[in-house]
Amino acid sequence: MNTMLKILVLSLMTLGSVAVHADEWPAITKKARGQTIYFNAWGGSSRVNNYIRWAATEVKQKYGVVVKHVKITDIGDVVNRLLAEKSAHRTSGGSVDLMWINGENFKAMKKNQLLSGPFTEKLPNYRFVDTENKPTVLFDFTTPVDHMEAPWGMAQLVFMVDTARVTWHPSGMKQLLKFAKEHPGRVTYPAPPSFHGTTFIKQALLELATDRTPLYQAVALADFNRVTAPLWEFLDELRPYMWRKGKTFTHGAPEMKQLLNDGEIFISLSFNPNDASNAIANGELPDTVRTYVHESGTIGNTHFVGIPFNSNAKEGAMVFANYLMSPMAQLHKAKPSIWGDPTVLAVDKLNAKDRIMFNKLPLGIATLSPAALGKVLLEPDSSWVDALEKAWLRRYHK
Amino acid sequence: MENPPVINHKKISSLGLFPIVTLVCFLSAIVIGLISTWTQAFGYMPSIGFNHFSVIHWIRLFSYPGFNSSLIATMISGIGATLLAFIFTFFLFAFSYHNQFWRLLDQALAPLLAVPHAAFAIGFLFLAAPSGWVLRLLSPGLTGFVVPPDWSLMKDAYGISLMLVMVLKEIPFLILMSLGALGRIDVRRSLAVGRSLGYETVQVWIKIILPQLYPKIRLALFAVLAYSLSVVDLALLVGPTAPPTMAVQVFRWFNDPDFEYRLLGAAGATLILLLVVSSIGLLYLLEAGVKLIFRSWLINGQRRSRFFLFSTLSNFLVLALVGVSIGVILVLLVWSFTWRWQFPDFLPATWSTQFWRNGVLQIGGPIWNTISTGITASFLAVILVIGCLENEILMLKRGLKTNTTKILWLIYLPLLIPQIAFLFGVQVTLVILRLDGIWLSLVWSHLLFVLPYVFLSLGPIYRSYDQRITDVAVTLCRSPWQAFLKVKLPMLMRPVLFSAAIGFSVSVAQYLPTLFIGAGRFDTITTEAVNLASGSDRRIVSVYALFQLLTPLMVFLSALFIPRFYFRQRKGMQI
Repeated sequence: MNTMLKILVLSLMTLGSVAVHADEWPAITKKARGQTIYFNAWGGSSRVNNYIRWAATEVKQKYGVVVKHVKITDIGDVVNRLLAEKSAHRTSGGSVDLMWINGENFKAMKKNQLLSGPFTEKLPNYRFVDTENKPTVLFDFTTPVDHMEAPWGMAQLVFMVDTARVTWHPSGMKQLLKFAKEHPGRVTYPAPPSFHGTTFIKQALLELATDRTPLYQAVALADFNRVTAPLWEFLDELRPYMWRKGKTFTHGAPEMKQLLNDGEIFISLSFNPNDASNAIANGELPDTVRTYVHESGTIGNTHFVGIPFNSNAKEGAMVFANYLMSPMAQLHKAKPSIWGDPTVLAVDKLNAKDRIMFNKLPLGIATLSPAALGKVLLEPDSSWVDALEKAWLRRYHK
Repeated sequence: MENPPVINHKKISSLGLFPIVTLVCFLSAIVIGLISTWTQAFGYMPSIGFNHFSVIHWIRLFSYPGFNSSLIATMISGIGATLLAFIFTFFLFAFSYHNQFWRLLDQALAPLLAVPHAAFAIGFLFLAAPSGWVLRLLSPGLTGFVVPPDWSLMKDAYGISLMLVMVLKEIPFLILMSLGALGRIDVRRSLAVGRSLGYETVQVWIKIILPQLYPKIRLALFAVLAYSLSVVDLALLVGPTAPPTMAVQVFRWFNDPDFEYRLLGAAGATLILLLVVSSIGLLYLLEAGVKLIFRSWLINGQRRSRFFLFSTLSNFLVLALVGVSIGVILVLLVWSFTWRWQFPDFLPATWSTQFWRNGVLQIGGPIWNTISTGITASFLAVILVIGCLENEILMLKRGLKTNTTKILWLIYLPLLIPQIAFLFGVQVTLVILRLDGIWLSLVWSHLLFVLPYVFLSLGPIYRSYDQRITDVAVTLCRSPWQAFLKVKLPMLMRPVLFSAAIGFSVSVAQYLPTLFIGAGRFDTITTEAVNLASGSDRRIVSVYALFQLLTPLMVFLSALFIPRFYFRQRKGMQI
């Protein structure tokens, strides 16, 4: 209830602030013209890289802002570099102008004052963002966003199964155990603290916990051992039936996709509901792969772009962040053939033409309809991440 | 009348600068980096609110979940790879030197050296994993597998697959270093004398040549050791995962968004450094032990042995080494042209040139960064190395015993100190000086690692040059410069170009320095390849791995062909 109230208050604040700051925008775009921004974003997917290249060309033409994609493997490394810059008192002329973040990294940046402050209320396209029905655009892994990062895309945990190899797929964690026992060595999950690994653990905890209330409070308040006991029981039981007997883990979902293609494993996971369709379209997965979700719902969240405190081209960064939120850029991004990343916008807030375009987006061969995607579970309080990761390491790092 | 001492005097003063510039350039980075890392390891980092020295991060390190297994996997892969690579290298020299298999190895050496570690590991994974090419070849016909077996062939918990990859990759390097060192041991005459005394060839190698060779490649061996114990990119690709090796663990800690882990990372990085130092000590002890045990055997006068039985094994090793490398390149090629390829098909079901087409379109920037940085760094390195060596010759000539050789071993420090132990400190310093993210800093950071390899590969051959030839030339043309440029440099062109090529390939392979010192702004083929490897689309990764392999290969081939072309009319200079 508390969360809902916060969301309501924040939404109201958002509406108010857009009106106040809208007149700043022409000045911002004017100042942005001619700026070069360094956009630090994960560079592991050529599809995403191509999309960023496309968006960069667009803002170059429309606003005269040059966007350089600095491809990185782990955004944590960038957060660290910003810390180094802060400790060297470099309050301007920083090496990063805009970065792709969410979750723990955002929390760490906010806590250490590595962000440049609220800015999304100044962006004209922010008014299209679905702040009513997508609470994760306001609370990033339960950390209040406070306008310090601009929503870019939506994510929901989905599973992929190769229907050519198996006849049924699990509909929950308990069934996954049954599946693993039936197909020993063909189920695995990425090792925490990798992003996908931790998400899998949180998903399992949400499904198996007898009472979810403590998961939405700071972990210190809850009896960690009691709440997580069913989780460890489940993981312990799963382990001997896992790929490589649970002694080797994967680094993340991309690696699991490859293993799924090889037939080394039969079930993979992804944070992009369109992932399977995309992968089929570009030959990465066989066309027999299908997406499914667990009956009790799966974890969903939002990914954002944020501006560091010492950005050298804040206006340019804002212009690019605004463009990334525009109906056109969001539509292009949502096309299964481009990236297939779900939009952060509320389609009913758009004009008729854009609305039709969004509604006409094709549903990929292995993509679930919004209804079939089912309920979105909110991330547990972010303090749980560290506690869960540590407990997992203690148990399985041997 | 000419006054030669004056010219000489001027030359000394300018040449004398070379060792000084070279050392200042290097020591500053390492000293600053290490001090920064060490203070952090003891909990001192005021910028994030840690104002007091403490050992708490060491306690956290030792009690970190899986610490022991991580350490064991690191030692197995690091020390194991070094010892095995070394033993196999000596083995190859003793049993296969100059037979028909050796010729094969000789021809393959440049390509083997040019294959970057990451590309090699990626290809090896595609070859030897349970879903790899080898099992695709055998399945389902011979094995009956329709899905890959659940075997722990790769990424095993003990780091054995990591060790294997490093062994295969380090043997060519140790062979190259040995070949350079053998120039100073008269192999042909030793063999002739030994054989005339009735020793069989293998015995001459083991009893006479190898004991002389070892001290000359000791340093290269230590470099291999330091590298193997601290490698990150390879360990990410083929190393254990739960827990990973120490270096990967430290890399993760440094990258953790929770800044407190940085201090844990600093302690871990320092531990890796201690591990390297103590392993070097261990190798010295081993050396002493071997000397003690085998001394009497070396001089027991026995001429014949059953060693020849090993020669088949040694020849097989050559074939395996070359075969695996060819397999690696082939499997990368096949994957790069794949559209769909499922287990257990031996070849892709659908082919495509799309990934090459996209790759060629997008590779421009990274290729340019790679080549410009690599060429500049290796060019500077060659100039500095030649300057230092010329200074050495001049000092010797004037009877000055300043012992530059003794001081210059400091140049090798970047090879002996794990990158991870000081690069983060260097990064922080560059950030303070606002020198990060600029191209010159990037070149300098590459130079740090390029220079030692250039020194290592050029030094021995350069020192064995007969200086009397230059002396004669000087008397003929009266100018030391002319003599150097027109006689000495052309005569040494082959090794100079080859060492520059090695320097270039070292530069191409740099991952951590490019990332940290370049603030991520300079994407090279290697950073692109490692980035894309995290996305695991084998087809794209293969294209980049092949680009990563082709760039240094072209440079190596130029190093081979330029002298051939240049000397096409000089019989004495042809090989």
